[in-house]
Amino acid sequence: MIQTADRARPPRLPWFVAFLAKRLVWALVTLVIFLTAVFFFMQVWVPYSWATQFMVGGSSAFEAAREAAGLDRPLVEQYADFVLGLARGDLGTSFRGFPVADAMTDALPITLTVFIAGSVIGWVVGELLGRLGSWNRGRFSGAAISVAGVLSATIFPPFLVFLLVRWLRQPLLDAREAMGLPTDSLNLWRGALIGEAGAPTQGDVRWLVALGLSAALVVGLVVRSYGRRHQLALVEGLAIPAMLLGVGLGIWLSGLGAHAIDLLYRVEVAATTGRGTPALALFGIALISFGQVMLLMRAGMEAEGSEDYVLTGRAKGLTERAVRDRHVARNVMAPVLAGSFLTFPTVLAGMIIVEYELEMQGLSSVLFDAIEFQDIPVIMGVMVVLGLIGIGFRLVTDVTIASLDPRQRRGSA
Amino acid sequence: MTALTEPLAATATSSGRARRVALNPKILAGLAILALFALLTVAQPLLEATVWDGKANIYDPRFGFDTTIAHPSAPSATHWLGTSSLGRDVFSMLTYATRPTFLVALTAGSSIAALSLIFGSIAAYRRGWVDGFLSHLSDAMVLLPAMLAVFILGISRPNAEFGALHVGFTFGVIYGFGPAVATVRAAAMTVVAKPFMDAARVAGGGGGWIVTRHILPHLYAHAAVQAMIGATGAVIADAFLSFRSAVGEDVGFGMMVYDGIIWSSLMAGIAPVPWWIMVAGAGGITLLAAAFYLVGVGLREALDPRTRGVLR
Repeated sequence: MIQTADRARPPRLPWFVAFLAKRLVWALVTLVIFLTAVFFFMQVWVPYSWATQFMVGGSSAFEAAREAAGLDRPLVEQYADFVLGLARGDLGTSFRGFPVADAMTDALPITLTVFIAGSVIGWVVGELLGRLGSWNRGRFSGAAISVAGVLSATIFPPFLVFLLVRWLRQPLLDAREAMGLPTDSLNLWRGALIGEAGAPTQGDVRWLVALGLSAALVVGLVVRSYGRRHQLALVEGLAIPAMLLGVGLGIWLSGLGAHAIDLLYRVEVAATTGRGTPALALFGIALISFGQVMLLMRAGMEAEGSEDYVLTGRAKGLTERAVRDRHVARNVMAPVLAGSFLTFPTVLAGMIIVEYELEMQGLSSVLFDAIEFQDIPVIMGVMVVLGLIGIGFRLVTDVTIASLDPRQRRGSA
Repeated sequence: MTALTEPLAATATSSGRARRVALNPKILAGLAILALFALLTVAQPLLEATVWDGKANIYDPRFGFDTTIAHPSAPSATHWLGTSSLGRDVFSMLTYATRPTFLVALTAGSSIAALSLIFGSIAAYRRGWVDGFLSHLSDAMVLLPAMLAVFILGISRPNAEFGALHVGFTFGVIYGFGPAVATVRAAAMTVVAKPFMDAARVAGGGGGWIVTRHILPHLYAHAAVQAMIGATGAVIADAFLSFRSAVGEDVGFGMMVYDGIIWSSLMAGIAPVPWWIMVAGAGGITLLAAAFYLVGVGLREALDPRTRGVLR
């Protein structure tokens, strides 16, 4: 009966403080190794440099160009400059004269909007289809889902883009006419660019949309998993749509109205051919990314289906749906998240091709232009940004896995 | 192709695993598609020696041009899959482009398998700082998409300068050090924790003997999965290079898709879309990539002991 102060344990930090600290140290070390790998890949493996185009002009022009770009210095010195510059947030200067960071801030909001929204849609669809497909194996629908998943993982992205543009672009534009959206939507930002005082600039609006959308999707996913855990079907089903609606409403109320929706249809005032619209890109990226998740989910579900607790659940009279969604699917989640990180680079490359082929003026255009111009600092900048996105994605998946599965909370890799 | 399943059969602890590999519908479908493409590769020289004999000016995949019809032409008796906008025979291009694509997959797959086996087993056996370094390295390399590395090195360079071997090797090294080493190392860790490792040490086994006789045999199948899935990516990367920058006489699947897309955008509303050439190119890429992918995914399923109960 001596329940007193000496038995009370000191207040402990929540598990995720220690966990996050460990993962952040891991991320930092990985980042340094990644930067080193990128630098030496670009400097040693890539055979060209800005200066090679002056080779025909004779060795003096070549040497002058090398010197002007700082390429004649020892490799170690260039490496130190690169890393120290990054530590200050400076991505270096393009061979074409502009700061690399500027190109990134111009391109990132488009890429983030399309990639994050597209891959979240792809994830949700893939998870759902994987869940359904594993329980329908042997039936036609199960086989059809399998074929769709393999196609999604192996289709040639430029061909997919061609099909999308050919079959979906006109219906989308017609829908926009039917909704009565303004056809000169970008006049708003154009006016702002001329210098109307106090108006948001085009870049501001894009960042607003990108960040608002990402935040809404993250909150939506958390609320959705909360709803699923507490068996609130309504909360689970409505979480993501409600969040998206909230972002739309917020942008509408901020006075941008129909113009914001029209952003889904147009990107650039000076877009050359106007092949792509963000709506198409979202669709294409969702199609490219759902297959890997679906196949991982399905394989996991099928492996888990032979466990004893499935039999127990059925024996005590649970519905098939309850066994599938509330018991098996939850156990599969952690390995699927971990596996999706390893397929991330392949999916990312597919998304970049889709974005480029739709001429979205995002990160992919910056990258492929830089490759044409042999603009090594810009190429390195893009790789660094993609690496940072990847590390961020990994941290988010690690924290999610740890919150799903207490065994993973010790923080070892 | 049988070589891929051999190591698995050899290391199977029971006949159960070999049976699961042999009965897996995904593996069977993948192998069937691979066999079809292997036939196509052989078809090119055979056809040149028989049906196309003496008609190289018409059927050559690089320089052929049929002067009797307008190009691009739809599939017909003389041109089974039609002709491209430059007048080349699509079937001949398809068979011709299969060989370098196999080469890409083979180079990528074998370098992935070699790297992941060597470094995965060393990391698991040595532990300590060696493992720490290798697993951090593979974590970092996962962030570097192998496809992008191939594009950076290969775009706007002709095949002669950056060909199938270069694509396969570049992709293989970067994918191999990244996802492949990470996966195979994880598998090796579970092997090293087993009691027979202690028995091998007690029996006086040296490092080399333990790694080659007791660790590697359990990893072949995992490395094969990674090699197959990596080969999928390498095939698509190679196709995109060919799509973006095929010049002159280079023939590839991606360049066939490009030919069709460029023709239909130039002639929009004037001429019909030449579906035959695009479908041939894109179909070739997707079928080949899917074949490697199916074998890889099927192997992974067959490896997972827990799927045994649900195998149908």
